[in-house]
Amino acid sequence: MFRAFRFIVDLFTQRHGIIAFVFFLLVGLLMRQAPNFVKENIVSSILGTVLYPAQMAISSLDAYRSVVAENEQLKQENARLRQETYYASEGLQELTRLHALVRFDDKWGYPIVTARVVGHNPGRFLTTMIINRGTHHGVKENMPVFSMNGLVGKVTKVSYGYARVQLLVDPNLKLSVLERRTRVVGFLESVDGHMLMAMVPTHAGVKAGDTLITSGLGGIFPKGIPVGTVSAVREADLDVMRQMYVVPFQEFSTLEEVFVMEKEPDWIIQELLDD
Amino acid sequence: MTSLKWLKLLFLYILAFVLQTTVGDWLQIFGIGPDFVIILIVGIAIKHGPATGCFWGFLAGFTQDIYAPVEWLGAHTIAMTIVGFLVGQLEERFLTLNLPAKMAVLAIGFFVCDMIYFLLTGLEKDVVTNLFFSKTLPECAYTVIVGAVVFYLSAGKAGKKKRSV
Repeated sequence: MFRAFRFIVDLFTQRHGIIAFVFFLLVGLLMRQAPNFVKENIVSSILGTVLYPAQMAISSLDAYRSVVAENEQLKQENARLRQETYYASEGLQELTRLHALVRFDDKWGYPIVTARVVGHNPGRFLTTMIINRGTHHGVKENMPVFSMNGLVGKVTKVSYGYARVQLLVDPNLKLSVLERRTRVVGFLESVDGHMLMAMVPTHAGVKAGDTLITSGLGGIFPKGIPVGTVSAVREADLDVMRQMYVVPFQEFSTLEEVFVMEKEPDWIIQELLDD
Repeated sequence: MTSLKWLKLLFLYILAFVLQTTVGDWLQIFGIGPDFVIILIVGIAIKHGPATGCFWGFLAGFTQDIYAPVEWLGAHTIAMTIVGFLVGQLEERFLTLNLPAKMAVLAIGFFVCDMIYFLLTGLEKDVVTNLFFSKTLPECAYTVIVGAVVFYLSAGKAGKKKRSV
């Protein structure tokens, strides 16, 4: 029995490295060839059982460290502000912050949930991130996520206390956009997980420097959320459409806080999603 | 390999991902940052050989794949497994690599990993060319510099251990 176990261990370790290599390569190839729903199941089960709790623990440690630093900073600030106009300046800051939130709230008429970014994918191409709000706080799948600067993405997976956000640079996220000056509608996507590309009809005359906002036509994002600016226009394969590079208003790698708009997809889109 | 060494590698594996998501962000210059995960895989493969290299390459690649778009699942896994196995052929038991040689191996490993990844994700040729010059090339240079520091420090630690024995 022990010999048999030892033999299997040896197969995968020192004596026969090639067997281990072929085995792992085959597992990788099987995953690569698997249908998308199988891939989604693999990812969901690993995230739910291992990675979310681990990231939550790391994030809690980080939060504790920042609380200690913040505490020290606040003590110093407190002493200074006591000598100055403490109440006035504090009240003004709070008013400004609340005013900004209320403006966002009023504009679209949906409640907003504030969330902290607690993790993101560890690869070099940032396509998803984890936020510390979930079903417990009213967050559901396909709700739009944005920051003060502009659109960030949408919620794709939700659990009790946290949710996964698909960023605009995720190649699987495609959205309908509207150019603010010409009012022409196009669509935005990322083909490589790094750059954003928009496809707009040639006749519209969209040029570098123009601004893109959400068109509201996709049924998931409401109309008017700022998305980004056109940085360059390039010739497309089709004469009727122009491809253009887009720089998003929000730099995703520096995101610390985001807002989730409690807007569920329009009923027709919801039906398509459910199908 | 003893259980203690497995635990040590597990600790380094977790550390690499923690560094990647924390220090990796802080060290970014114009959006270009070092890749601690490939440094770990190359380091493990050189030290412990192809079997261990491809196992940890598989694990690290799979972890990165979990967060990548679902359609690309398996691309990092395959790329990292191959790099772990290939670099493992230069195992320290049979070959002695000095620091510049390790840096060269790290650079080649980085390129091979990215090339396999681009190939498997099926990106267009002009997109790959753009990514190669805007991401792969500068990040490879940055990773090699950070890797040199890591290899230098780990070699110094190993040297001290040998002297004390």
